[in-house]
Amino acid sequence: GQPGVTEELLRGQLYPEAAPEEFRALRAKMGGLLQSIASADMDLNQLEAFLTAQTKKQGGITSDQAAVIAKFWKNHRAKIRESLINQSQWDNVLKNMNWRIDLKAQSRHTDQINTPVAIVEMELSKKGQESEFLCLEFDEAKVNQMLKSLSEIEASVAAL
Amino acid sequence: YTYSTAARNHLSTEELVVALGSEVGALPKHAVQVIRHVWNEQGKAVSASEDARDMDTVGQFIDISWKLGVAMSSDTCRSLKYPYVTVTLKVAEPSGQITNKSFEMTVPQFKNFSRQFKEMAAVLETV
Repeated sequence: GQPGVTEELLRGQLYPEAAPEEFRALRAKMGGLLQSIASADMDLNQLEAFLTAQTKKQGGITSDQAAVIAKFWKNHRAKIRESLINQSQWDNVLKNMNWRIDLKAQSRHTDQINTPVAIVEMELSKKGQESEFLCLEFDEAKVNQMLKSLSEIEASVAAL
Repeated sequence: YTYSTAARNHLSTEELVVALGSEVGALPKHAVQVIRHVWNEQGKAVSASEDARDMDTVGQFIDISWKLGVAMSSDTCRSLKYPYVTVTLKVAEPSGQITNKSFEMTVPQFKNFSRQFKEMAAVLETV
C-alpha cells in the first residue's frame, strides 16, 4: 500500500462533497494507476506519457486528476521506493552500529602491554524477528583487514 | 578502559577531557582530541549499551566475504533496480566455536559502515 495516505484523508482534501461510495471507486482507480507508476518507478517523461494516455482513454481520468497523481508521485516517490525496497529485504539487515576503543591490558610476567582494540556492536534485524546483537573485537590489524575488503566493495559499487 | 569507565560514570565530554588531562598527563594533544571527538559522536550510544552488554559476549572477527547484487524486480515491484551489499563475517564466539553471520546493506548503509571502520582505524592509530 501507499504509505501515509488514507482514504478519508484523500476524500477530505480533494472531494469533501463526494459520497463515500463514489469516492471509493475513484480512489480505487487512482490507486491502481499509482501502483502501475510505482511498480515501473516511472521518471517524469514516462509519467507524463502514461498520464496523458490515461486522460484520453474511455473511462479514464480528467487532466485535474492527472495533475494530482503527478504531484503525489513527485512528492512521495522516494518514500514509496524505500518502502518497496524494504518489503524485499527478507534477510538480516544491519539496523545499527556502535563502537568504542578499549585499551586491553595484557600482562606477560612483568611486562604490561596495552593494546588498543575496537569493540564493535552490530544490530542485525530480520523481518518479524527480534534484533540480534553481534559484538566483535577487532585489533588494529583486523580493522585494516576489514578496510581492505571494504575498499574492494567500494570499487565494485563505483563500477555499477 | 577509557570509554568503558567514562560510560559507566556517564561522563560528559568535558568531564572526560579533564579527567584524561589530570590522570594521563603523557597523552598527546591530538589523541585527546580524537578521543573527545569519538566520545561526542558515540558516547551516548556506548553509555546506553554499556549496562546491557558485557565482555563475555564479545566474539573475535576472523574474516569477511562479500558480494554486490542488484535486485531487479519483485512480486511487489516490477522495476526495483536497487543495489545491495551482502556481507558474511566469520566469527569466533567466546566459546571458541566458529560461525558465519550474514547481513545485507543498501549502498548508503554500506558507505556508513565503511566510514565507521575508517574512523576506528584513525583512533586506533593515535591511541
